[in-house]
This record gives sequence, C-alpha cells and structure tokens, in this order.
Amino acid sequence: MPPVVSVRNISRRFGYRLILDRVNFEVEPGEVIGIMGPNGAGKTTLLRIVAGITKPTSGEVEVSGILAMVGHSSMLYDALSASENLRFCARLYGLADEGTIDSTLDLVGLSKWRNQRVGTFSRGMTQRLAIARALLVDPPLLLLDEPMTGLDDTAAEIVYQVLLDLRAKGTSMLIVTHQTDPVVQLATSMGFLVGGRMEVIEKVDNRSASDIAARYKEIVHGG
Amino acid sequence: MARVLSAAFTIAVKDLAIELRTKTAFMSALVFAILVLAILFFARDPTAVASIDIAPGALWVTFTFAAIVGLNRSFLLERENRALDGILLAPIPRSSIFLGKLLANLAFVFTVEFISLPIFVLFYNVEVWSRLPALIAVIAMTTVAFVSVGTLLSSMVVRTRFAELMLPLLLLPFLVPPVVGAVQVTSRILAARPLSEMLGWLKLLVAFDIVFFVLSLLLFEVTLEE
Repeated sequence: MPPVVSVRNISRRFGYRLILDRVNFEVEPGEVIGIMGPNGAGKTTLLRIVAGITKPTSGEVEVSGILAMVGHSSMLYDALSASENLRFCARLYGLADEGTIDSTLDLVGLSKWRNQRVGTFSRGMTQRLAIARALLVDPPLLLLDEPMTGLDDTAAEIVYQVLLDLRAKGTSMLIVTHQTDPVVQLATSMGFLVGGRMEVIEKVDNRSASDIAARYKEIVHGG
Repeated sequence: MARVLSAAFTIAVKDLAIELRTKTAFMSALVFAILVLAILFFARDPTAVASIDIAPGALWVTFTFAAIVGLNRSFLLERENRALDGILLAPIPRSSIFLGKLLANLAFVFTVEFISLPIFVLFYNVEVWSRLPALIAVIAMTTVAFVSVGTLLSSMVVRTRFAELMLPLLLLPFLVPPVVGAVQVTSRILAARPLSEMLGWLKLLVAFDIVFFVLSLLLFEVTLEE
C-alpha cells in the first residue's frame, strides 16, 4: 500500500529564519509516528505543512485521502454549541449524517453537553470536542499537535483511550510533542526534530518512555 | 461549482448564526449608524443648507462606516481558537471561503442599511418612497463593491496586531471611488432627476462591482498564506 503521507525535502523559511531544513519522511498506513523536539524546533510548522495550511518554501508533501488535525487551538467557535460546531464541520466535508454527530459526541463523552456553547467548556472538554471534530470525518490520517497538553488526568485518559482505539482501527497518526509520555505508548516510530532538521526516525519496538527520553536527550544535547 | 456554492453557503450560515447569537457587530453597527445620522443632521444649519443637499453624503458616510464595523468582525471570528485552520483543512476550494464570507457580510450590511434607511428618511425628511426601487438598486450596487474589497482586506489584516485599526486605513482609499459614485447617483435620485443624468455614474458603479469582486476573488487565496 502507498504511504498515507510522503514528505519530501521540505524546507520552510519565515523571513530570514529557517524553520524547517530539508525534512523527509513517510507515514505508512496504520503507522503512528511521534515527533519530538524542543520548543521552536519546527514541529507545529511541519504539522501545518502536512495539513496543507502552510505552504513549504521548497519541497513537497503528498497526502493520499483526507486528513484531520487536532491543533494547539481547538479550531472551534465559542458561540456555537458542541453539535453546531460538528455540524458545521460535517457540512464542509460534505457529510450530512446527524447520527454520526451523535455517535462522535458519545465517543468522546460529550453527549450530555451537545447543546451547550463551547465557550462554557473546560479545557479538557474543548480538547475532547476538538478530537471529535477530527474523528467526525473518519480520516485515514490524523495529525495531533501536543494533544495532551493542559488536560487534567480524566480528560487525558479519555483522549488517550480514543487515540488507542484509533490506532487499533488502523488510523495513521502523526503526533508532535515535547513530552515522551504518553506518546511513546501510542507511537510505532519516533522522530526527533532539532533546529528544523529531522535527526532520525526510529522504531519504538519495546522501548520504554524513559529509554526514548534518554535517546531524545542524547540527540538534542549530544549525549 | 455546486461544491463551491454549498461550502460558501455553509460558511455564511455559520457566520450569521454566530452574529445572531452574539449580536456584537450588529448592535455596534446599528447604534453607530443612528448616531452618525443624528450628528450630521444636527450639525447642519437648516437656514444655510437644505437637508436634501446634505442627505446623500450623510447616507453614504453612515453606510460606509457602519459596514466597516461588520467587516472587521468577519475574519476576527476565525482568529478565535484559530477556527480558520479548521476551514482550511476541509476539502473545499478556498474561493468558497471568500464567497461565504462575502455572502455573510452582504447580509449583515444590507440588514444594517435596511434598518438605517427609514431612520435616515425620518431625520432628513426626504421623499424616497416613490424612488425606492432606484435607491435600493444603487445601495445594492455600491454595497457589493465595497463589501467585496472589504472582505478581501479583512482577511488580509486579520493576522496583524491592530487588525481593527488597519482595516479602515486600507479600505477607505478603495471606497472613495464607488462611494463618490453612489453619492452622485443618490443625490440625483432624491432630486428626481432623469436616468440619463446618472447613467455615467451607474456604469462606473457596475464597473467597480465587477472589478472589485473579480480581483478580490482572485487575490483572496494569497491573503491566506502565512
């Protein structure tokens, strides 16, 4: 099967600053790649380029099929209710099944709040709805930018469980983070992005989060 | 084409639903319109200037500035929680985003104009009812021109730090030609002059509509680039 995403020689400049420097990788169907890097390494820019929101200065990205993204921000409208936000998204994607909206809200445990405005939601609820928004379109590829940041334990557990289910279903994922836990438990491979360069992408196999963290330190700090 | 229009309609309905719920821009624009009409009316010396002489200018100053309030809000909505990213991810042509925003802005501005018009008639005591179709036509033509370019510039300035200040600064120079044309046509309509006297200005307004709409549609995608 062809890769879900092929990133070929991507570079991106903002003014004189080189944010990404000739990044290459592929995401195979069902593969979950976690990309770690310190702040300012270019992780979010990379994700936005794969999503097609930002254009690369050079290089190309090939995505087969539709994709969905859960970003730093929720991409939701505070003045609309949870179901109205999902309905808007569904219509943009040409989906009109009200049942899918209900079942997606149920999946992230927000059915009870379907008619409540997003502006009144806690950070955890908003993040769960942002994930619901992404799942609504049943994407073969899901992009996640620090999906657990700022969540309390309960919300983090729900999000983690949803991501585990997606992985079991065969959804490919590209997760950027600066923390090993819990991405290492989800990822099949880990990439290390430092100063805009993808230093290495290697299989997680049975390595623990602390092993990956040690490897990350070795790459970032040179030992 | 059907996909473009359906996505545009979805975006417009969403924008209007948010505006109906919050009423932030609508109330600001309406109060602003009433205030401007009142201030310009009371600033006039009735013994020196007849109300019909000042009325066309007052009408278009009011409509123009009230519209800017709504245009400002148009893309600021999308800045909240980076909602625009969500739209950009969807498999829809980017032109549909412009068309959706344009439709919502037109609905917004037409509503403000529709409510302001009777207030204008009340203040300036001008006979409009017999000339209403002509007046509505010139209002519609001019509104399409300045809302087209306003929608484009609103998307352009939204990422700047002072978006709300930048929009009028950039937009007003573009508004001068169509608004001058609109004032000229309106004054002739209110004075019950024959169509032949305003035909040149009307042609100019049609030209502005076409040029502003087409250019804004073509340039919109560039404004989305980071």
